[in-house]
Amino acid sequence: MIDLAIIGGGPAGQAAAEQAAAAGLSVAVFDEQPRPGGQIARQPPAGFTVPDWLAGRAYAEVRAQLARFEGLGGVAWHGGTAVAGLAAGADGFRLTVVTPDGAERVAARRVLVAAGCYDLPVPLPGWTLPGVMSAGAAQAFVKSQRIVPGGRFVLAGTHPLMLVVAAQIVESGGVVAAVMFDQPLGRCVARALADPLTIVRHAGLFVDAAAARRVLARAGVPVRFGRPLAAVEGSEAVAAARFADGSIMACDRVALCYGFVPQADLPRQAGATVRWQAVAGGWATAHDAWMETDRPGLFVAGETTGVGGAAIALCEGRLAGIGIARSLGRLDDAAAAGLARATRRRHARLSGFARMLAAIADPAEVLARVPPADTILCRCEDVTHAEIDAVLATATAPNAVKLATRCGMGVCQGRMCEGALLRRIAAADGTAPGAAGGFTARFPARLVPIDLLCGLDDVSAEAVAD
Amino acid sequence: MLIVEAAHANAGASGQNAGSLHFQIERRFLEQGEAKAAEAAAITGLSRMAVDDWRGLEQALGADLHVHMHGGLMVAETADEVAMLERKAARERAAGLSAELVDGAELRRIAPYLSERVIAANHMADEGHADPRAVTPAFVAAARAAGAVLAERTRVTAIARRAGGFAVTLAGAGAGTVQADQLLIAAGVWSAGVGALANVHLPLFPVALQMNVTERVAPFLPHLIQHVGRRLSMKQAHAGNVLIGGGWPSRMAAGDGRFDLSRRPELLAPSLAGNLAVATAVLPHVGGLNLIRSWTGTTAITADQYPLVGAVPCAPGLFVAAGGSAFTLGPTFARLIAAQMAGGGAAAEAKAALAIAAPARFDHLNSFMGG
Repeated sequence: MIDLAIIGGGPAGQAAAEQAAAAGLSVAVFDEQPRPGGQIARQPPAGFTVPDWLAGRAYAEVRAQLARFEGLGGVAWHGGTAVAGLAAGADGFRLTVVTPDGAERVAARRVLVAAGCYDLPVPLPGWTLPGVMSAGAAQAFVKSQRIVPGGRFVLAGTHPLMLVVAAQIVESGGVVAAVMFDQPLGRCVARALADPLTIVRHAGLFVDAAAARRVLARAGVPVRFGRPLAAVEGSEAVAAARFADGSIMACDRVALCYGFVPQADLPRQAGATVRWQAVAGGWATAHDAWMETDRPGLFVAGETTGVGGAAIALCEGRLAGIGIARSLGRLDDAAAAGLARATRRRHARLSGFARMLAAIADPAEVLARVPPADTILCRCEDVTHAEIDAVLATATAPNAVKLATRCGMGVCQGRMCEGALLRRIAAADGTAPGAAGGFTARFPARLVPIDLLCGLDDVSAEAVAD
Repeated sequence: MLIVEAAHANAGASGQNAGSLHFQIERRFLEQGEAKAAEAAAITGLSRMAVDDWRGLEQALGADLHVHMHGGLMVAETADEVAMLERKAARERAAGLSAELVDGAELRRIAPYLSERVIAANHMADEGHADPRAVTPAFVAAARAAGAVLAERTRVTAIARRAGGFAVTLAGAGAGTVQADQLLIAAGVWSAGVGALANVHLPLFPVALQMNVTERVAPFLPHLIQHVGRRLSMKQAHAGNVLIGGGWPSRMAAGDGRFDLSRRPELLAPSLAGNLAVATAVLPHVGGLNLIRSWTGTTAITADQYPLVGAVPCAPGLFVAAGGSAFTLGPTFARLIAAQMAGGGAAAEAKAALAIAAPARFDHLNSFMGG
């Protein structure tokens, strides 16, 4: 049995591994990607060289952390590995981990879920057409390998990350037709100016955004505000983006960027308490000052606790690593408090910026719009808003609506539709989204070929016996 | 008529079961020796009625229930298992249910998807599956149309037995006290707890099972597949997903000296691997499909494994319908218990049909309950 299994090799997982290894713990890190970095510092495949990879100032801290992590001894890296299951046992946890070659159960005394976030899905007409992607997906291609996954992009959404993604596409040789912010510029400015001190403290990040805008200006890419995307059009694939003012823009890719929601499958599967994240939604896992959840021994850090960005994730990873060493008796309270002091101060400072960014990117207005009745809400099972609304007249419990409509029964396990459904339920019965919980989280958190699971029982017999 | 539901209609086993329509004598009755197998043949009388009930159910309820009755195969991999199938089929034929033993070229013709390890099967033409997602809502709509009121998110907190009826105290969305001439407890795994409120033992034992479902794929499996010697039930649902189960246990939470039915049972890895291993041994094609969900659910069984359906003799006016097999046999239980409760000419016949499930066989347990 290992001391600590970390799920997620992004900044939070790396920072935790560094602290835990320094305290003498045996640590294994599992990540779906072959190499560490997470989505923020998604690395090129081994053996590839990408000139000026993540050269921007915003990436300096996560690159420094990555370099330290890759130099660590005593940490086992398991890339290309999905964690499909997480369950508590008598003396720790059992993870069901899956690689292309097989599945096995891993026993760990402590578990840290630092699984990051994913793009907030926003169902609108045409969002299931081939050629519509999340801005995060487009960025994963250009960041790691300078592959431009399309011909002519329109970026639409509310999140300022759009500027950075658009600039990365342009710098990788792609064509961006326009960057279209849903909200008016005045609202962004007002919300930023509401906290001028935060702007001063985090001036570096604004410099990066300004640099992105210069790249776009040089390339002649228009950046417009107050232009809500109404629909994506095309018969077999994306042909154009249509906006609320009636204008139509020809393109073959639409990248949507309305914000981010935490990956919460594993904490929910393990029974940890989660809370609905304000505005963008999704389930943030609750934790104490040492990042421990209410399932003793299960820790969380980074976007899993609520989306706050990479700098906060680094802080939370450090705190979790120290907290885990403390919980295993490798650090006494005084030593742990001392190690954590500077990180706690920094975390508090960064929280102001995260709040300001969330306010600027606020997708509340977008999410409150009711799309046409035939718009698909659950894309795995092709369930429309009209079909959902018909059921909401008699049933509003999320699992009941799921059972009645198949919404959330598909291969994505509800990741794409749960938020949209919970918002519809809230609108129907006048409650807050997530007030009545969500879908029951089930094994597996990721699809697993059945052949791989048939051999699991030998390892797990021991797990059941104890 | 008032239907009281603690959560929402279809929230429990009625919506969580895998939707098999199985009419062959179940493996659980065959693995306990010949005496039990002979006795269990009595349940085929109910199965025979259930075949007719399911054939007419979509029309009766006016709803598409995705009823597929394209046949079921109970497969065997060894000579001993084939012998079990032969004895089982003979019993079923004697009880008026037709199961035929198929093997060799005929078996491959009927079911080309089966692995070479399968050497024979009992084939029953009426077996198949229906959609639990659709069946309960259709019954709810029909009950409402007939004048019944459904009170969801409403719990029974007290039952007082009065001369000629019951006073039932309700909490939650439909809070209040209602007077009822007759009371039917059909609360699945929670039935014993409701019975306790009426001061009767309903000897039901909760069991937690787990099931698995694959991604949706094009139709390739028209039959319900069961195994005579191993735990397996497998079918391809209307939507294209393959459902894999067959009685593999999950683990109930426990506390306070009893099983805690309010907590979700825990998935057991050996059950997961064991179930999927049997499935792929019988049907290799499913090994290449992706598992998208495994889920747990609870049902209740009795000491002799037969259902518990009928009047509770020590408490006049009190009825129960619980104890398992209640998807396949549910519509039949409902029809017969309604006839019994309505009284009149059909009541005696309904009581006779439910004889094997009659609560009277356990009434000695209530001989110290003080009425």
